[in-house]
Amino acid sequence: MSAKKKLSSKELTSKKHNRRRLLTLWRVVRYGTDSFVRNSWLSVAATAVMTITLLIIFTAFITQNILTDTINDLQNKVNMSIYLKTDTSDKVGNELKTELSKLSSVKSVTYCNADCGRTQYAKDNASSPEDLAALTEATNQIPATLKVSLVNINDTSQLEKFVAENKLVKDHLDADHKPSFAGERRNTIKTIGRAVNFAQAIGLVAGIVFVIISSLIIFNTIRMAIFNRKEEIQMMKLIGADQSFIRGPFLIEAIIYGFIAAFIATGLGIWALYASSKTLVSYQISVQPTINLVTIYAPIVLTAMVGIGAIIGIVSSLLATRRYLKL
Amino acid sequence: MILLDRVTKTYNKDSKPALDRVSLFIEPREFVILVGTSGAGKSTLFKLLTREEKPTSGKIVVGGIDYDTLKDSHIPMLRRKIGVVFQDFKLLPQRTVFENIAFALEIAGMTRHEIKSTVPKVIELVGLTGKEKQFPHQLAGGERQRVAIARAVVRQPKILIADEPTGNLDPRHSWDIIRLLEKINKYGTTVLLTTHNAEIVNKLKRRVITLEHGKVTGDQAVGSYRQ
Repeated sequence: MSAKKKLSSKELTSKKHNRRRLLTLWRVVRYGTDSFVRNSWLSVAATAVMTITLLIIFTAFITQNILTDTINDLQNKVNMSIYLKTDTSDKVGNELKTELSKLSSVKSVTYCNADCGRTQYAKDNASSPEDLAALTEATNQIPATLKVSLVNINDTSQLEKFVAENKLVKDHLDADHKPSFAGERRNTIKTIGRAVNFAQAIGLVAGIVFVIISSLIIFNTIRMAIFNRKEEIQMMKLIGADQSFIRGPFLIEAIIYGFIAAFIATGLGIWALYASSKTLVSYQISVQPTINLVTIYAPIVLTAMVGIGAIIGIVSSLLATRRYLKL
Repeated sequence: MILLDRVTKTYNKDSKPALDRVSLFIEPREFVILVGTSGAGKSTLFKLLTREEKPTSGKIVVGGIDYDTLKDSHIPMLRRKIGVVFQDFKLLPQRTVFENIAFALEIAGMTRHEIKSTVPKVIELVGLTGKEKQFPHQLAGGERQRVAIARAVVRQPKILIADEPTGNLDPRHSWDIIRLLEKINKYGTTVLLTTHNAEIVNKLKRRVITLEHGKVTGDQAVGSYRQ
């Protein structure tokens, strides 16, 4: 009986303790929201800076995505062509296609025999009667072609080795047309490859730099806001508030900045992407996959933005309040 | 209630101590006035009592709590037992009179019901009934100090430290505040007051401790202000 009574008393104390903790949490949230509303100008300024920060992060992400898509597009357009003799049979052509497809550096291979080459030539030059007339000359023969798309256009070594060593290729290689990754074309392809690498590296570095700079700006804004209220913090300490009670409202405020700013920044960012898409497409920039991505995953993008905003706000507040909270 | 045993506080190794082997004993329910010129060590003494600073040497015991064995995590609990009032009030500017006073109870985890029943009584005690919803900037200096006192005493602390509470007030409001402190002392709270106001010291006829260059140079049961 007494054991039961003792347990009940323990449970009661624990229940009371939990209720008190909940009450404190509720008060921290209320103090944070009250402070956000009552310090309206400071809140507007901090939210605006947070919006700019998140917009920069959003833009960095979108730009990186568009750049990657555009580069992929470009890479797909740069095919390595192996020209075969006009009389090469389709059987040989397809056999070579199968062997090439097995190479790890090869993304895809298409085979186009001499007839297919003529049709393609006629199609590509439909607007030029002079070029079309050239097809009627018996001496002008279109070679059969193996068009190879590589995983990395800068890495042609495996393909080159294959062409140099494979007996079947050597037997049927067109002597008048060198493969496109050899001779003069090789330099052009390598230049495009270097430009692609450079653009990707610059895009990534610029993105990281922008994110760091904007995070520093919001950190400084929150630090200034808290610096303005250091006397309040001092007073709270002296009347016996513990650290979590002092820090909590500042964290809540920072989360509110992040939350509102995430909505504004995501809205503005998606709107700007749609608004600029026509212009970007006219410059051969591959924007549609990114538009599809942010439209389909809009809730995830928004959640990620809210998360980033909240994390930046929380870290800034924690760092800024730390120096005033020493006992 | 308050015991200081040969307490020394030195901020820098090269400078003179702010407090130099100070020994004091203050009984429960006493009303003690601490006087001394600027830099005499009054503020340092208060900072030691509220545990904003640690002594370089010596022993401090307040309300039975030995500061030598006090853990950092227990400092907020200690401060909830000591009421503090400052010359510049230190109120929360964005909170109303009621909210400023309630804050001291909220941090201690008191319920809304307890707060609603306690705060109005304290507001009445300090004579601010009717001004509960006003913000600090809407109040006169004397009224703000009353809010600060109400906040300090709402948890019924055993000790009230008032650091120059009349420093920013005109003579009439200064006396209002002193009378209020006397009333609080009468209810059983030990009051430790610092002031530069000779008239207040001389008229109160209370125990006066004089500090000079970090040392206790006078301790009179019914003291007067010495220049």
